[in-house]
Amino acid sequence: MMRTLSLLLALAVALTATPALAQDTLDKIKASGVLVIGTRTGSPPFAYVNKNNEWVGFSIDLVEQLVKPSVEKAVGKSIKIEKKESTPPTRIPLLTSNSVDLIAGTMTDTPQRRESVDFSLTFFYTGAQFLVKKGSPIHGVNDIAGKRIASQQGSTNAKILREKYPQAQLREFPDQPAAFQALLQGQVDAYTNDGIQLAGLKVKAPKPDDWEVVGDFYSEEPYGMAMRKGDAKFKAAVDAGLKRGFESGKYFEIYDKWFGAKGELPYPMTPQVKAYLLKQIGK
Amino acid sequence: MNYTFKWSVLWSGQSGAWLLQGVITTLELSALAWLIAVVLGILSGALRTVPFPPLRWLATFYVEFFRNVPLLVWMFFWYFAVPPLLPRPAQDWLFNHGAEFWAGTLALGVYHGARMSEVIRSGIGAIPRTQFEASVAMGLTTFQAYRLVILPVALRLIVPPGTNESLNLLKNSSVALTISVAELTFQTRQIETYTAKAIEALTAGTLIYLVMCLSIATIMARVEHHYAIPGLISRRQPAG
Repeated sequence: MMRTLSLLLALAVALTATPALAQDTLDKIKASGVLVIGTRTGSPPFAYVNKNNEWVGFSIDLVEQLVKPSVEKAVGKSIKIEKKESTPPTRIPLLTSNSVDLIAGTMTDTPQRRESVDFSLTFFYTGAQFLVKKGSPIHGVNDIAGKRIASQQGSTNAKILREKYPQAQLREFPDQPAAFQALLQGQVDAYTNDGIQLAGLKVKAPKPDDWEVVGDFYSEEPYGMAMRKGDAKFKAAVDAGLKRGFESGKYFEIYDKWFGAKGELPYPMTPQVKAYLLKQIGK
Repeated sequence: MNYTFKWSVLWSGQSGAWLLQGVITTLELSALAWLIAVVLGILSGALRTVPFPPLRWLATFYVEFFRNVPLLVWMFFWYFAVPPLLPRPAQDWLFNHGAEFWAGTLALGVYHGARMSEVIRSGIGAIPRTQFEASVAMGLTTFQAYRLVILPVALRLIVPPGTNESLNLLKNSSVALTISVAELTFQTRQIETYTAKAIEALTAGTLIYLVMCLSIATIMARVEHHYAIPGLISRRQPAG
């Protein structure tokens, strides 16, 4: 139902929008004094409405603390951030219709999407890992030969395992709850999905400390902020803000606030990810 | 409709092998479950008519309990709730040797056994009580009367509804995909995942189910014809 509604909304937005003249986003922000972002309401800890009814999250903090100062510098005046809800089916239409200027949520940067929008530097990087019982002999994708691995039917992870790691006994479940239950009870030795999702499941497990997320990513899911295609000046401003955050360490402080040991969802950054993020700015 | 059909996805790549594998798994699963269903069905169906109340109650409990809970729940029951009752090494052995398949087979067989039971019971109910009385009067025990007189006639009577149940069982085997049994429906979804051609994959699955069911119906019609007792069922319809 929600999906249908979202699609209808997307369609309505797409139809009613005045054809976007190649307007410069920075000029638009300079005129209005507002940067409109499209973000999520139920994707903790990236963007969600918390217990105190505040719209917060990692992605929102990145915009407010890193992107906003950089855009302010580019337009030469102080600006406000306005948040609008965007969902996977609505976010690209919202951008192209000028309803929002920047998507900052949980959007994966893919080659297909790059055909219709531009992406900022990657601000979060996840990929397929394994959720296992503590002390399991599985430490990564190279230890799964002969092991029973649960996956979600139709996911890219299942596809990769089937093609590249046929020695594993793959068990494909139609949804996440069944696969997770199979792991909890020992029907399978590990459950594979995007690392950040597994971290979320671990927190919800009856005894979170009994489980751990292991392994290097064997698939890539880089999250980026999306913008209208071909607006080089705006993209430069957004990227400059993120780049400054990486350089000054501010980005890592924000990461720690949400994903550190005391954060909303503990998901420590691996050296592999840190290297990936810093490589973007030539370090 | 703005959709470009590309039927070649069904035979290019691995699709053909997947579909074949799916058909084999579906047939294996259904055949084993059918055997369980028939044995349980005959047993409990007969027990529900015997002149000994505790056995009747037992059979009634089985039928009402198993047919009135959704099949999906039974799938989860046999896969998630039963194995933890075994010792851990036995569980591991099972999970490494196709526990999903066996859980699916039991779920399907025991569930359809309860439904089959009602079919058998109605077959037995259609036989005049005097037949049973005559058998006993001739010196047969209750067990002998059932084995030699009542069941042979009842089983002939229930071929049409029994066929119906069997076809349902075959189609219901698709529920086993929820516990990761890679049967036919699972494989059609797989093709869809790889090729994004949903209509072609579903059409292939539908046609395969249709062919399997029609084949079973034809075989059962022949069985009915072959075993018919002349004069027992007065209005035999012309074949076809």
